[in-house]
Amino acid sequence: MNLQAIRILFLKDLFLSRRHLFAYFVAGLAASALACTSNTTLAYVGFVLVLTVAIAAGIHMIGTLMLAETTEQTKLFVMSFPISLLDYSIGKISVVLTTYLIPWTAMFGCLVVATFVMGKQGNVVVLPPIFFFLLCGFMLQLLTAVVSESVGWTICIMVSCNVCLNIFLMKLFADPEVAEVVKSDVLTWPAFVVQIIAVELLLIAASLVIAFLFQTRKRDLV
Amino acid sequence: MTTELGNSTTTELAVSMVGVSKSYKHFQLQNIDFTVERGTVAGLIGPNGAGKSTTMRILMGLVQPGAGSVSVLDKAISSNDAAAKQDIGYFSDDMRLYKPETLSWHMQLVRSLYRDWDDVYAGQLLDRFGLIPQQAIKGLSHGQRVKAMLLLILARRPKLLILDEPTNGLDPVAKHEVITELMRVVEDESRTILYSSHNTQDVEQISDSITFIDRGRVIASSNRDDFLEKWKCIKLHAPESWTLPSVDGVRLESSHRNLHVLSFNQFRGELPVQLQTPGVVIESVESMTLEEIFVSSVIRGRQEG
Repeated sequence: MNLQAIRILFLKDLFLSRRHLFAYFVAGLAASALACTSNTTLAYVGFVLVLTVAIAAGIHMIGTLMLAETTEQTKLFVMSFPISLLDYSIGKISVVLTTYLIPWTAMFGCLVVATFVMGKQGNVVVLPPIFFFLLCGFMLQLLTAVVSESVGWTICIMVSCNVCLNIFLMKLFADPEVAEVVKSDVLTWPAFVVQIIAVELLLIAASLVIAFLFQTRKRDLV
Repeated sequence: MTTELGNSTTTELAVSMVGVSKSYKHFQLQNIDFTVERGTVAGLIGPNGAGKSTTMRILMGLVQPGAGSVSVLDKAISSNDAAAKQDIGYFSDDMRLYKPETLSWHMQLVRSLYRDWDDVYAGQLLDRFGLIPQQAIKGLSHGQRVKAMLLLILARRPKLLILDEPTNGLDPVAKHEVITELMRVVEDESRTILYSSHNTQDVEQISDSITFIDRGRVIASSNRDDFLEKWKCIKLHAPESWTLPSVDGVRLESSHRNLHVLSFNQFRGELPVQLQTPGVVIESVESMTLEEIFVSSVIRGRQEG
């Protein structure tokens, strides 16, 4: 493994995505701020925007950093460098994950802090399951992009994840224990939420491992 | 480069492929045996879809062969071994640079990955190719883009250049600039070039050895001068009853009334005399161009199956 080459590949992709990354970071913070306003309508719009930014950032970063390298034929240029498939895979998966996690963390952190500051501690209980669900969806899209190298299949998984997100939100808020904690000023963690988070973390880890294993086992690089 | 070892002579190889095969759904590269001596320019000529690009990608470790062994600069090539690629410069007509970024940005990127990057030489190439480092790639013409990629490859001072159709689509001036630069490269006898094209003139101009490839098979491989010396074309007038003589390597290229054009891939001086049977008049014995040799080789190869 060539750590110097991995670092260069990582920084190259970070530089190439700098404008999009900045835009999603700013949009994420603005959406989070709106979601924290006391006006219910604005807060709802803000929350929808937070979900939108998270979904858009995921598909955009996978599209521009991973899939476009094949469709725009820049992969052949990169793979002619003195790098192995392992170097390329580590650099690529880590940069796509990083560029997604930057706006994701900003929005998640902003909402958690704002909720505490506003004294609505109970609301925090829904944030981890929702944000880990978004991360889960992103990881499944990343896995699909690695396996299929297809824009069509990746968009198909993104749409499926979005449909599932609506069902997930409905089920989450319909849970009596969750509904009770959300109304309260004291943060407690219902078993239902803990189970959801555990499953989500497991799925995220599994997707990451499978994506990495699949990528490093490819025989033809271009 | 040839080394004398007592009474025997060994040749140092830059590239060696033995029994290499690769199968795709609609294409097979079949049992490729192919070598390139160090310090030479080898031309790989084939029609579109012949397997030139696949062969070169296998040499770069970008595509794994289904069978056979590949060695480049004395190292076995695989997708998980990057060491050999430090000394190889690879160009493909399918290769693209990052459109929004400048040539200067690309030069910095490549410089950071190659220990032998030569800033002075890169500057000279910028001047010779008339490139502006601050210009974004998306603003470059096709010819400028090819020259930019060659600059990024040549300034690393690679020991082996693998160039897949580098002159494809270039105007005559750009083509001349590129070939002139490649000729400068081979003045350094330690450097090797493997050059593919479907344009025989480009390859003929700079190659020491030539290999023809068609439908995934090597159909002929030889020193360029041997090709030109061994292949001849004889035009003769013969009566209607005349039949093609059974001579090794003969093929009837065309016939018009009583004028027949024959090609020979193992021409010998006594052949015209052997052909002069009663009623046969030899009009001319001519050398063949590399393009004619290539076309005849491909057709012969396809007829032989």
